Amino acid sequence: MSQFLQATVYGLLQGGLFALIAVGFSLVWGVMNVINLAHGSFVLVGAYLAFELNRRIGLDPFAAMVPVAAALFAAGYLVQRGLINLVVKAPIFITLLLTFGLNLLLVNGLILIYSGDYRSVTTGYAADGFALMSGVRVPVGRLLAAVVALLLTLALVAVMRRTRTGLAILATGMDRGAARLMGIRARHVYALTFGLAAAMAGAAGAAVSAVGTFNPADAGRFTLFSFVAAVLGGLGNMYGALIGGMVLGLVEAWGGQLLPGTLVNAVAFAVLVAVLAVRPEGIAGRAFYSSRVEV
Amino acid sequence: MRTRKAAALAAAVALIAAGCGSKGEKQSGGDADTLTIGASMSLTGSLAREGGLTKEGYELCKKAVNAKGGVAAGGKHLKLDIKYQDDTSKPDTAAQIVDQFNDKGIKLILGPYGSATTEAAAAVIERNGQVMADSSGADDKIFQKGYKRTFAALSPAHSYAASMVQAIAEMATPKPRTMAFLSADDGFSKTVAQSGADEARKLGFTVVATEYFPSGTSDVSAALTKIKPMKPDVIVGSVHVAEGIAIIKQAKELGVRPSGGFAETVAPPTPDFAKSLGADAENVLGSTQWTAKTAGKDKWIGTAADYATQFAAMFGGRAPEYHGAEATAACIALVDAVEKAGGTDPDKVRDALAALDEPTFFGPLKFTPEGQNLTKTMQVVQVQKGKPVTVWPKDAAEAPLIWPGNRS
Repeated sequence: MSQFLQATVYGLLQGGLFALIAVGFSLVWGVMNVINLAHGSFVLVGAYLAFELNRRIGLDPFAAMVPVAAALFAAGYLVQRGLINLVVKAPIFITLLLTFGLNLLLVNGLILIYSGDYRSVTTGYAADGFALMSGVRVPVGRLLAAVVALLLTLALVAVMRRTRTGLAILATGMDRGAARLMGIRARHVYALTFGLAAAMAGAAGAAVSAVGTFNPADAGRFTLFSFVAAVLGGLGNMYGALIGGMVLGLVEAWGGQLLPGTLVNAVAFAVLVAVLAVRPEGIAGRAFYSSRVEV
Repeated sequence: MRTRKAAALAAAVALIAAGCGSKGEKQSGGDADTLTIGASMSLTGSLAREGGLTKEGYELCKKAVNAKGGVAAGGKHLKLDIKYQDDTSKPDTAAQIVDQFNDKGIKLILGPYGSATTEAAAAVIERNGQVMADSSGADDKIFQKGYKRTFAALSPAHSYAASMVQAIAEMATPKPRTMAFLSADDGFSKTVAQSGADEARKLGFTVVATEYFPSGTSDVSAALTKIKPMKPDVIVGSVHVAEGIAIIKQAKELGVRPSGGFAETVAPPTPDFAKSLGADAENVLGSTQWTAKTAGKDKWIGTAADYATQFAAMFGGRAPEYHGAEATAACIALVDAVEKAGGTDPDKVRDALAALDEPTFFGPLKFTPEGQNLTKTMQVVQVQKGKPVTVWPKDAAEAPLIWPGNRS
């Protein structure tokens, strides 16, 4: 029983990390209908920035989340303003191609600078854990990452619902034409959205650097996690990625206990297929989001 | 209008003809005084790390051979040149690249990184009548298909984990009783884990579990959670660098503490292992194809210690590890075979490789009829004070084994 509990706890924590990685991806997809294939490489850039900050000035990776997120917000804003905005009205195939190219550029740039070496930031505490009842261990680093994911999602929801900027983002996402008629500058709002998403990817990267290892080839894996978590949770709901990530983490953990370990990925995708068959809009998504007006 | 179309057509035809021409020119595979060898390499993709190390080994061989005047064959001294193409760590791409080398007239091939890519390339090598010196494809399966043109410089997969099990059986006090095997699910790692478990049973250990996880994963928590209640004395990982680091990290997170310690293939001798694990890497056992203490000497490199000196001089003072050394050894095998064959004719080079029996800095190079090198032995290292040091076999040991390896 304690083995099952341990798997559940670890799966939930792992799911928190997935959610943190996925939340920005889901935001961009939901608001702009852009599937950002470069999202995983943004996470990696965040991880490498945290690694550099730790190596040069000894900054703790969780503290590094703030400067890393700020840097990636600026980078994300510029990428959207100068690049993706040019094709945002084009068919989805074009934006896919553009972000795919951006991903190749970033990943191979990272290989040039850092080679394919595996990196991680070693902290004194991240791998330590404390025991919950009956020998279930909770690792500190992953707990922190999951808590940050939860807080960031709550903060995002608050920004979206309570601030004028957030409402402008939501309005532009629902009906770009009407939003522009109300005086919302769509270009700026899109760039803000993408900047927010990149900032959250950066924060996720800093968390990844503390609890795991990474090298440039991991970009694809992070994008895949984000994709599955976003689709599983559903678009158009800020909690979607959080729910999707948690479900993904739990399914992988339980699947790993009940079935041979090599089937983990198959189980995760089987659940995705099952959810989509029953609820095509995802667990928490809203159906109207797919039929919104595109002008 | 019509003339313009005709002109465009003529231009297109001329371009195509030029394209064909440039391909035809390369048919000879370089000029007469150059020995051109092709290598498909994981320069990007999931094995970019290990691929980069392998390429360094090939480059060192090229430099050493050319510094000694090149390859003496057929009364001439040929300058060694190695052409690389990126296979993005994918087996089918590696096979295509080897095929493309054949189209360009390059018959002598140095192996890509890893067993999966090597296995795919070996099939093409056989079909095209090329010859491959394999530097890192250790899976025994590659050599059970009756191929006659692939020769592996390195020790085969079945000795990777078995060597560590032997070292523990011989030297560990108190002697552990139970072992659990954790393995990635690629062909090479599975062969390693199964032969390691067989060896463990033969030597009187109880194998409490053999768990598999997807190759290349950084999450092995499911397997660790499963074996935790079995309390194995030793956890043996049959892994690559990423999974190897993940086992140590997540075992600590999950409180999995084998009373003896951890032993892992491939990962512990790489510099990344100690660097990214810090103190947690201490006392982890690893098996390695080569260390700077390996006995043997050849005319290109000299001894293993000379290799370390040359490697440091070439790559910014870094210490070599076995991925580079096995690559250099494969390259030397091919160069020696060309010298013995007196030319680059692939059939003669193949026969010369099959008959090769040379001591090198890497250990003896001698191949079975299947193309494996069983003459050379694996060595066992232990991470001590952040550095992998040789602890087995005893005649090559730099330091005694620290046991139990898990201090807490």
